[in-house]
Amino acid sequence: MSEFLGYERDDGSIGIRNHTVIISTAPYANDTVKRAADIVDDAIPITHPLGRCQTKPDVFQTYRTLLGYATHPNTFGAVVVAHAGEIVDGDELAEDTAATGRPSASINIHEEKGVMKALDATVDAAREMVQDASAQRRVPADMSKLTFGINCATSDTTSGLCQHKATAGAVWRLIDDHGGRGCFAETPEFFGGENELAERAVNDDVKQDILDRVDHWDKRLQATGYDVRGAQPTPDNMDGGLTTIEEKSLGALVKSGDGPIQDIIDYSEKIPDKSGMYIMDTPGHGAESVTGIGAGGAHFMVISTGQGHTLSNAVMPTIKITGNPHSAERVPEQTDVDVSEALVGDESIEWATEELWDEVADIINGKVTLSEAMGESQFAIHRIGPST
Amino acid sequence: MADRYLEVVESVDNVATALRDVTAGETVTVAVGDKERTIEISEDVGFGHKIAIADIADGETITKYGKSIGNATEDISAGSFVHVHNVESNYGRGDLAEDNEVAAISE
Repeated sequence: MSEFLGYERDDGSIGIRNHTVIISTAPYANDTVKRAADIVDDAIPITHPLGRCQTKPDVFQTYRTLLGYATHPNTFGAVVVAHAGEIVDGDELAEDTAATGRPSASINIHEEKGVMKALDATVDAAREMVQDASAQRRVPADMSKLTFGINCATSDTTSGLCQHKATAGAVWRLIDDHGGRGCFAETPEFFGGENELAERAVNDDVKQDILDRVDHWDKRLQATGYDVRGAQPTPDNMDGGLTTIEEKSLGALVKSGDGPIQDIIDYSEKIPDKSGMYIMDTPGHGAESVTGIGAGGAHFMVISTGQGHTLSNAVMPTIKITGNPHSAERVPEQTDVDVSEALVGDESIEWATEELWDEVADIINGKVTLSEAMGESQFAIHRIGPST
Repeated sequence: MADRYLEVVESVDNVATALRDVTAGETVTVAVGDKERTIEISEDVGFGHKIAIADIADGETITKYGKSIGNATEDISAGSFVHVHNVESNYGRGDLAEDNEVAAISE
């Protein structure tokens, strides 16, 4: 398979889904967004607690993340809902979305003179987009257009021994055989493996950047004055056998394979076009790292889990894989791919990679993931500094 | 015949990961690289947890994936359970850091 069927965008990207998103610029528009998405059932609400009284680094990051979803390859169009005059500006977000050729609308609750009139306008705009999106047809597209995100969730000791290897096999197949991109993240989960990781950088600047960012996270965690254990590794990591952040990290890095790293990019920064593997600098916190990689434009993501997890994203389909036989049995509706036969049975890692790749091929071409079928998702933007 | 449910990643590792529940009193054969080693299990160790496959001294490195995953906080004999009660990390130790700044602002 070197082609898939996807939705063409004016900006040259191809989507594996055709979503209409309704985005709030600040928490005061969240209810309007949710109510509109209840009525226009196919639209996806994106709500959050940020966008007001944030200092500059956070404003850029919040804006860039929201724009990343408004202009995602899987996004047909975006309705932006603002409350009053916010530092994250609804009109600007809608204009930047329209600049990519996507339908967009900007609604302001105060300008509409109240939440009910704003709801009316939001529903009108979203309904029209959802219907137009549904009329668009998938067309053949080259797999080099795809970006494959990867993340961990509730890692345990099985992660680094089994499912992360299958994940690495699948992502590097997209990169090496098809000219696509991969992106992993979760910088605090490099602790203990960062030197070897940095050696994989394509040049010295990237190598130093990786080391600097890992060091920055270590200092940031030390500055709290507490032992990070409990936050990293988490209680469920430890229940699953992971003893220290180093053990977790050395396992986590297995999912990135051993090929070269093109660059390390900021949280929610657009993943570059050049084929290869990228790192996004995010915390280990799943909802934040997944939200960030989605904002960067990854078409889909494999979440390689130990214990099973509801971690998912509404715009970027998430495929969950585990090699832990107990997890697959305990949380079947969180287990898209069960490769435990490669851990405790007679199957090989090659078999596990094929199982995952087959699921990836199906999801790209329109099959929904369990989390899409279950209507699950989280949205959390990482913040740098305090609210003011 | 080595027990395939006790996985040692690299031949320099001093721990194995149990892929089945292991009971105190068992004698197991563990593959370490292309050699085998016999270990007497002294404690119950559940699926996913680690067993020492060599004696480890207090302060010595716990090695898995061929690298340090922390240090022993007490003497650990081969066949014992290795986890948070006898291992400490070398990262994120804000409790040990001197001159802590107020957290939160960074970039």
